[in-house]
Amino acid sequence: MTAATLERSAPPAQSEAPTPNARRNFSEELLKVEDISLSFGGVKALTNISFDIRKHEIRAIIGPNGAGKSSMLNVINGFYHPQVGTITYKGQARSQMRPHEAAKTGIARTFQNIALFKGMSTLDNIMTGRLLKMRRNFLWQALYWGPALKEELEHREKVEAIIDFLEIQAIRKTPVGRLPYGLQKRVELGRALAMDPELLLLDEPMAGMNVEEKEDMCRFILDVNDEFGTTIALIEHDMGVVMDISDRVVVLDYGRLLADGTPDEVRANQQVIDAYLGVSHD
Amino acid sequence: MLYREAGQFKTNYVADQAIFPIRQDRIGMAIVLLFAWVIIPAFGTDYFLEIIMINFLFFSLAAIGLNILTGYTGLISLGTGGFMAVGAVASYKLAVIFPDLNIILVFLLSGLIAAAVGIVFGLPSLRIKGFYLAVATLAAQFFLDWLFLRFDWFTNSSTAIEGVPKTLFGFLVTGPDASPFAKYYVALGFVTVFALIAKNLVRSAIGRAWMAIRDMDIAAEIIGIRPLPTKLLAFAISAFYSGVAGSLMLFLFYDSAEPDLFDINLSFKVLFMVIIGGLGSILGSFMGAAFIVMIPILLTLAPDLLGLPISSDLAKHLEFMIFGALIIFFLIVEPNGLARLWQITKEKLRLWPFPY
Repeated sequence: MTAATLERSAPPAQSEAPTPNARRNFSEELLKVEDISLSFGGVKALTNISFDIRKHEIRAIIGPNGAGKSSMLNVINGFYHPQVGTITYKGQARSQMRPHEAAKTGIARTFQNIALFKGMSTLDNIMTGRLLKMRRNFLWQALYWGPALKEELEHREKVEAIIDFLEIQAIRKTPVGRLPYGLQKRVELGRALAMDPELLLLDEPMAGMNVEEKEDMCRFILDVNDEFGTTIALIEHDMGVVMDISDRVVVLDYGRLLADGTPDEVRANQQVIDAYLGVSHD
Repeated sequence: MLYREAGQFKTNYVADQAIFPIRQDRIGMAIVLLFAWVIIPAFGTDYFLEIIMINFLFFSLAAIGLNILTGYTGLISLGTGGFMAVGAVASYKLAVIFPDLNIILVFLLSGLIAAAVGIVFGLPSLRIKGFYLAVATLAAQFFLDWLFLRFDWFTNSSTAIEGVPKTLFGFLVTGPDASPFAKYYVALGFVTVFALIAKNLVRSAIGRAWMAIRDMDIAAEIIGIRPLPTKLLAFAISAFYSGVAGSLMLFLFYDSAEPDLFDINLSFKVLFMVIIGGLGSILGSFMGAAFIVMIPILLTLAPDLLGLPISSDLAKHLEFMIFGALIIFFLIVEPNGLARLWQITKEKLRLWPFPY
């Protein structure tokens, strides 16, 4: 993956210096985790992790396998409950939260192993993402008429916009179980986008993809970030991608925070090189 | 050439979201409704209307109910017979205690009572899944069986519950003296309306929530679906359908029944209908019910029709063997049920007479 293909369309003010890692200014904090520790019995998954995610940035979480990256996402969207530490989201501190409450406050995510609803069509999968916004109760839905139909159509229009955006019009009515892997990942992104999230958590969105699919996915991520202003936190193993598209990077290793900074800082950090990046022998 | 959707363009989402978006399906449905509402009652004999059609109709309703729970929400239930018993007993009690209550209200209220019972027995579904949930719902079946046999308040101190004679629009529609014709129309009316409601539910937001829970409950939760209310609603609606089916079964078919009619065998029968017809398909519920209700009747009639002189014992045993073999055959050919078989046929028809 070359830097040129992924070049960030820099904000107008900085357009005279369109370097791949052109830093943008983010000041407002969207989410802050402080001193998070999570253990399963005797296994310590996370130890004293603190970092923040600022509004509108692309934040990468990297680290070797088993470093606790996915656990970190699970903590953020309420799936795991850390024993110690606080999470401040949009200025509100919380320690315990159920996943559906996190969904209500605008946190969406995708999964490392695709977690689509296999028996449903692409359209239905993405429509499911709109569920929290649908207000009519099941008695109206039983009639499928009047306000219920109107609501269904309003959301259909939103979903169609997402389908257009992700360029998956042709597979609208196909059951997702039959789709190839790369498209399934795209549908899953669509389902997360349908929630109109403020914070989008992506767990290895490019795992197992070929170069073209990765380029497409990067383009979608950057566009989501630019056009919808969505804050993105992603876990990714492809260092080329991470260094190109992310604004700041957190490095975890054995459940500990190893480094936190811009891609350039992280790339130069000796501890990170030792633990994860390694050195090239050329 | 017959089943081709080429040239049928949708220009708005209303048309695309319609219940039958393809013209041929609409025509097919209209023909089915015409048969059900006009031709069958006009030409069917009493035997055909009563033993085959009414039997088929209330089983279809029960199968739709179970399909909502097992096929769409992925919760296996063996309590259908129990919920049907609740519906039957409730309608009997309501009809006796409130003699002036409209028969349609009696059926609907019995369904609501069954729904309440369904919610109670659905509570374990938050914690347990799969076969373990099947065992938990088995508890519902045995408990309800026992309850109605043990306390004779439910049967008004007699051994049987009865279909109380009731009139609707001046016609006698229930009880032993009602004509099969009138009973058939009541059953058909209920099945038509509730099949439509079920179809609407499964294609709107609540249906998507059910299927999301079925396919990937963790992802469903992260989208914001709350598992407990969603599952309980599925239990309630499923039990409502079973309850109404139980009332229809008592009032329109058996006229008089002992509570142990609604035993575990009935639960299995409905579950087989759903599995053979196709999990997660309203059409499949009808196909499964038709298969399980009609094949044994046809097999019983077959020796006579073919003029084969075989003893009734042998005929009965042959019926069991052929019926069992047919079930196995269909499950091997298409594990996803008759509805899937029908879908494959339609896909083939779209291309016919070309190979691809």
